[in-house]
Amino acid sequence: MTTRRTAVPADPAQLSVLTEFLREFGSAAALAPAQVGNFELALEEIFLNIVMHGSEPGITPRVEVFLNLGADAVTMTVEDDGPQFDPLSLPPPDVTATLADRKVGGLGVFLVRNVMDTVTYARTAGRNQLRISKRLAD
Amino acid sequence: MNVRIEALAEATCVIPEGRLDFDAAPGFQEALERALGAPGKAPAALIIDGAGLEYVSSAGLRAVLLAARAAQRAGVPFALCGLQPAVREVFDLSGFSRIIAVHPDRATALAQVQPGRA
Repeated sequence: MTTRRTAVPADPAQLSVLTEFLREFGSAAALAPAQVGNFELALEEIFLNIVMHGSEPGITPRVEVFLNLGADAVTMTVEDDGPQFDPLSLPPPDVTATLADRKVGGLGVFLVRNVMDTVTYARTAGRNQLRISKRLAD
Repeated sequence: MNVRIEALAEATCVIPEGRLDFDAAPGFQEALERALGAPGKAPAALIIDGAGLEYVSSAGLRAVLLAARAAQRAGVPFALCGLQPAVREVFDLSGFSRIIAVHPDRATALAQVQPGRA
């Protein structure tokens, strides 16, 4: 079993730190590049959601990321101590809209749901907790 | 991420290389705006050659969407080409490949954006 943990402030400048963290885990866990790419995408989208929705004037939430390689799946848990915010409550984007009508936002969480097998949200002990997992390729 | 711009007679090609994430998106958006040119100086067509693109997130998609829309307003044919499978997957999931032309390679894209052949 391979596990990793890191914590960063919810500051966009930390994105490259998280990407490196994920890549190191991907190497240690011998994941396929496509699998690592899916988690990189999920982590970027989740982290930036926390940056956008979780920050208040003078307050920068702390974001903690846990990665775990299990027997048949990779699980990532992202926790933050910002205000209660369930990204899964966001309305899905209209992916059938025309070019002129297409909204520019709202895609991040939609992509996370689509590249992952399970995504669940919980508010526990004053923290937002988003847990995502994807089965290992056969 | 590096971005090169190649101005050909039939189209201007924007060629991103590396990761199109939140950090890279503003620079990429600027490059697309530059490639689209000032009013009256627009290229015959605008093509994003994504063969060197390894990763795209929603921030990158946003830059592409804004450019596609600006091109449409300016009457400039707009297309993507050469997307690697992982990047193509994100364009497909988001529904962008239904509203923006995606071609397998640059030669096909150039042939398709010729006036009168779209």
